[in-house]
Amino acid sequence: MKLNSNFIVHQTDKDTVIVPTASAAFSGVVKGNKTLGSIVKLLQNDVTEETIIAEMKKIFDAPEGMIERDVRNAIGELRKIGAIEE
Amino acid sequence: MITRTYRFAGKIIEISSVYHYVHQYCEEYAATGTPDFSVITDEEDIDYERKKSRLEDIAFGREMREYSSPYLESLAVYRKIAERMPAYDTVLFHGSVVAVDGEGYLFTAKSGTGKSTHAQLWVDYLGDRAKIINDDKPLIRIDGSTVTAFGTPYNGKHRRGCALCVPLRTICALEQAADNHIERVEKNALYPLLVQQVYRPSDPVMLARTLTLLDCMTEHVSLYRLGCNRDVEAAIVSYQGMKG
Repeated sequence: MKLNSNFIVHQTDKDTVIVPTASAAFSGVVKGNKTLGSIVKLLQNDVTEETIIAEMKKIFDAPEGMIERDVRNAIGELRKIGAIEE
Repeated sequence: MITRTYRFAGKIIEISSVYHYVHQYCEEYAATGTPDFSVITDEEDIDYERKKSRLEDIAFGREMREYSSPYLESLAVYRKIAERMPAYDTVLFHGSVVAVDGEGYLFTAKSGTGKSTHAQLWVDYLGDRAKIINDDKPLIRIDGSTVTAFGTPYNGKHRRGCALCVPLRTICALEQAADNHIERVEKNALYPLLVQQVYRPSDPVMLARTLTLLDCMTEHVSLYRLGCNRDVEAAIVSYQGMKG
């Protein structure tokens, strides 16, 4: 899976925002933190959920299971707005 | 095809259309010179606007509105212009710009909040000192530290605006409130709204450029949040709060 080309990732101050082009059905804006920023950075190439989790574990030190949960939640939310290409 | 040239935000634009309506609509902005770029519309563009309008009506739970092809073509023309403008450091922004003593104040909010009403309150309060530059979709040029708001023919259903430009001093987000109050805010507080209110091109490269321009714009204008009612006191509170 990867980020749909009708969405772009923009870094502003401390936040990462995911913004749809006029061609996307979704017209809102997703604002997230550094974690979301790292996930969408990985999604700019074709990756699996497992790869994202493995890469995130290299970046962030978190209690067991937290990274898996955060990645699955983030991908789930991105899927809902059509930002993921399978 | 009917082809004429116009000046929008300092750029000469050649418009070629199927119907005459858009040329009547833009008449005040007619200009001569070598075009910086051209836009051409056809029936496919008109159909796109018709479908988009219907989808918006469904999304907002409104009764389906039917628009004429010439009117829809005028929307298609401005959309095509807005798609190109980021290449010239210019974005289309949904809001109402009022000039007072040579400085521009941009009011923005979701549709139906009362931007036009508030802009008119400024005119009621300040009289001849206040002039509405564009009451709906001004073009904003961000040239280094200089941010300039331009009037365009696309100035809302009341057709309030003029072919002038003004340096932009502030952007003010409106919210309806029983009592009038204003506060200066940081970029983070308004950013999601600002991204919603700027025209987002379909070309990802132009969208990225738009967001960079938006970041630059927010660094060089003051940002405010205004809670307001429809009384003229709202204009007094917002003008006194923003004039510096």
